[in-house]
Amino acid sequence: MTDTDANVAEVSLGQVLDLQAAEPLRAELMALRGRPLQVDASQVSRLGGLCLQVLLSARISWAEDGLPLRIEQASDGFLEQLAAFGGPQINFEPEGAHL
Amino acid sequence: MDPFESIKATFFQECEELLTDMESGLLAMEQGDDDSETINAVFRAVHSVKGGAGAFGLEELIRFAHVFETVLDEMRSGKLPLTDEVAKVLLRASDVLADHVAAARSGGGVDEGRTVGMIADLQGLIDQDRANELGLNDHGDASGADEDFGFVPVVLSLDEPATDAPDVDIAALLSAAAEPAAATPTWKVIFRPRAEMYAKANESALVLRELARLGDVEVSLDASGVPALDQLSAEAAYLTWTIRLSGDKSEAEVREVFEFVEDDCDLTVVREGEAPEMAAADGAESDASASAVEAAAAAPLDLEALLARVAPTAEPAPLEIPPAQPVAAAPVAAPAPAPANLDVAGLIALAEKASQDHAQAAQTPVAKADPKVDQKAEARAGSGAATAATPTIRVDLDRVDRLINAVGELVIQQAMLSQRVFESGLARSSDVALGLEDLELLTREIQDSVMAIRAQPVKSVFQRMPRLVREVADMVGKKVRLVMDGENTEVDKTVIERLSDPITHMLRNAIDHGLETPEEREAGGKGAEGTVRLAALHRGGRIVIEVQDDGRGINRPRVRGIAVTKGLIAEDAVLSDDEIDNLIFLPGFSTADVVSDISGRGVGMDVVKRSIQALGGRISITSEPGKGSKFSMSLPLTLAVLDGMVVSAADQTLVAPLSNIVESLTPRAEDVHLIGGRDAVICIRDTFVPLIDVGVALGFRDTPLPPASGVAVLVESEGGGKAALLVEAIQGQRQVVIKSLEANYQHIHGVAAATILGDGRVALILDVDALVTTSRRKSPRIEKRMAV
Repeated sequence: MTDTDANVAEVSLGQVLDLQAAEPLRAELMALRGRPLQVDASQVSRLGGLCLQVLLSARISWAEDGLPLRIEQASDGFLEQLAAFGGPQINFEPEGAHL
Repeated sequence: MDPFESIKATFFQECEELLTDMESGLLAMEQGDDDSETINAVFRAVHSVKGGAGAFGLEELIRFAHVFETVLDEMRSGKLPLTDEVAKVLLRASDVLADHVAAARSGGGVDEGRTVGMIADLQGLIDQDRANELGLNDHGDASGADEDFGFVPVVLSLDEPATDAPDVDIAALLSAAAEPAAATPTWKVIFRPRAEMYAKANESALVLRELARLGDVEVSLDASGVPALDQLSAEAAYLTWTIRLSGDKSEAEVREVFEFVEDDCDLTVVREGEAPEMAAADGAESDASASAVEAAAAAPLDLEALLARVAPTAEPAPLEIPPAQPVAAAPVAAPAPAPANLDVAGLIALAEKASQDHAQAAQTPVAKADPKVDQKAEARAGSGAATAATPTIRVDLDRVDRLINAVGELVIQQAMLSQRVFESGLARSSDVALGLEDLELLTREIQDSVMAIRAQPVKSVFQRMPRLVREVADMVGKKVRLVMDGENTEVDKTVIERLSDPITHMLRNAIDHGLETPEEREAGGKGAEGTVRLAALHRGGRIVIEVQDDGRGINRPRVRGIAVTKGLIAEDAVLSDDEIDNLIFLPGFSTADVVSDISGRGVGMDVVKRSIQALGGRISITSEPGKGSKFSMSLPLTLAVLDGMVVSAADQTLVAPLSNIVESLTPRAEDVHLIGGRDAVICIRDTFVPLIDVGVALGFRDTPLPPASGVAVLVESEGGGKAALLVEAIQGQRQVVIKSLEANYQHIHGVAAATILGDGRVALILDVDALVTTSRRKSPRIEKRMAV
């Protein structure tokens, strides 16, 4: 990480990202808008459709802001589930930007 | 509890519900209901049991469930018509399935012979060629357990250097899109969940995983409907998946994956190359999926805008996009199932499967075992097979009890406060008094709500009975039809748990002793099939369970003879019919000449009576020779707070349950008559009823109160008998919290319980039924004889 920006926000995803985790996650991410984001997915054992939506939505929001969003240390469970969902891209990297 | 055990426990809990659903459906089918929804519901139940069993490798259970399920599937597809015979076999199969579940749960074994016989019976329903075709005669492959969870992690580029990630991904996606997997895709499944699906704790991840088990899949996600975070509703559904599935599976098999969610998603299953048609229940009518639909509609028109928005994520699908289909993202191939770790995969699959109905049941124990709160789809009341589930929460009973106790104290405290305010001489219209009234209403509301938490329908007990009746009837060679009423009658959970034994015993008794053999019945001009009716109802603030048969009725001379022989009564005792009938409740009484396996062994009605009494209940019997008998047991809705009339008698404050009270009146001396110089009756509107001096009846004093100087409260007992209770004065009506005498002291005849009044004193709650019965026992026919 070429971290020249001390403003980077970090968020750690919970273990179970299900129905109940969706709104808290959305709220948490909303609160971090406007800053580059690092999402720690190392703890995730289950990723459900609703939380996937939130992450995809976050990607759109960060893309709109032109700020990078990056999944870090994704757990196997996270990666597996993401693949089962069709492997959507969640990371976003604006042209020439570095987190 | 370790997570695995916890999930397993959840599975068995779910099994109970599934078995119940299954039996309800089968019973409906036995009555001729061949509606496809009913059959489907039964199929789903068996299928779910099998599926869950698969995750735990419960081979025996899986094997049997598979045969059972296959037969049901034949029915479902209309290849096997529903006949009486078929329904009976299926019902017996359901019993065997329940045995298998019970055995799996307890770790015990099942009756192998019965299972084999049952499998043969089930196979017998289907012709042999077809059975072979379905693989029914080869039990080896029957599973869900030995199937691979053909699901493979696809390595994504998430860990790639961030700058490269989008490009690399797109390239991969594009190549995947351009070159479909080696196997030719045969099915194209378009799956668009609606918000309701998630709300019911179903998970698209599970569905996709299940689908992946059927064969090689290519999953592409259309996320074009997803808005930015500030416009996102976390519980709405925005995603659509297009899955290409290769393999030789039938459409039914593909659709089966969606069976739990089919009502809550838009689903299209077409052979690749065919024009897709969205499922009938297309999403347009659903608000929740409106955005997805809008996106879909807008897609062909505004492709560029959408692409710009989700550019690095999604690529436009190949040109074959059908008009109704949203922009599909390029697929990622997830071919070639690799061996998955069965335990882990099974565990995850089960955890997710359980979450079909138990949102948290599967995951909470993993995340945090205590407090053991989970959500549960419990609202399956009603007869429908596909009843919508409402979210519920499972709470430690202990917590509820504490809450109930606290509310009880609150009620007492509130009553005491009211009394203090009243004594302080504040005007009724004062703000404090008015505030107290509001408080009282609120307290009552809280109390009702708290009591409702513990109340459950007796259905859970009743539903075990059809099987019992079938088995007992088979054993004694009688034909029995069980009719159940009032299954949704609610009663406190603690009562429900203890209802099962008495009901079981009464039903066995009714079939074994009450009903005649088919031949006897026909000879007596009745139908060969006897009817046993099991009913629950609320009456007078209690729950009444009735077991009624249309059999021979109690043979009073014989009962009397036996009682004399056993020395239970004197030979010359003069007994009314009622009293003779009640002899069967005496300890050690058994009419069976041959002790049978069913209801003999001297564990007779006395045990039933004792267990009911222990619950603060009563049992009574009415019988008519040749026409049958009816047992009624009446039980309190425990811990209830009752509305009572506070009265005084012999300087004691007593409470008469309002539910028993018909009216109150001041007796006139000329209306009161003495029978035999001792027992008083009072004439109320041309009917004579016993006049019971409460002070004397409870032993507070020996001299009766002059009738004209007191107040008579006309009460009605559960048996319908009436009596007038003579007390000195009525103080008023009040809600009181019941404090059990049995639990705190001991049973006292004529007293149901106690309570604490507003002034802190203890008041006894009258057991009206006991008082009325006592007075009747002294002079059983007064009412009839004296009635004008």
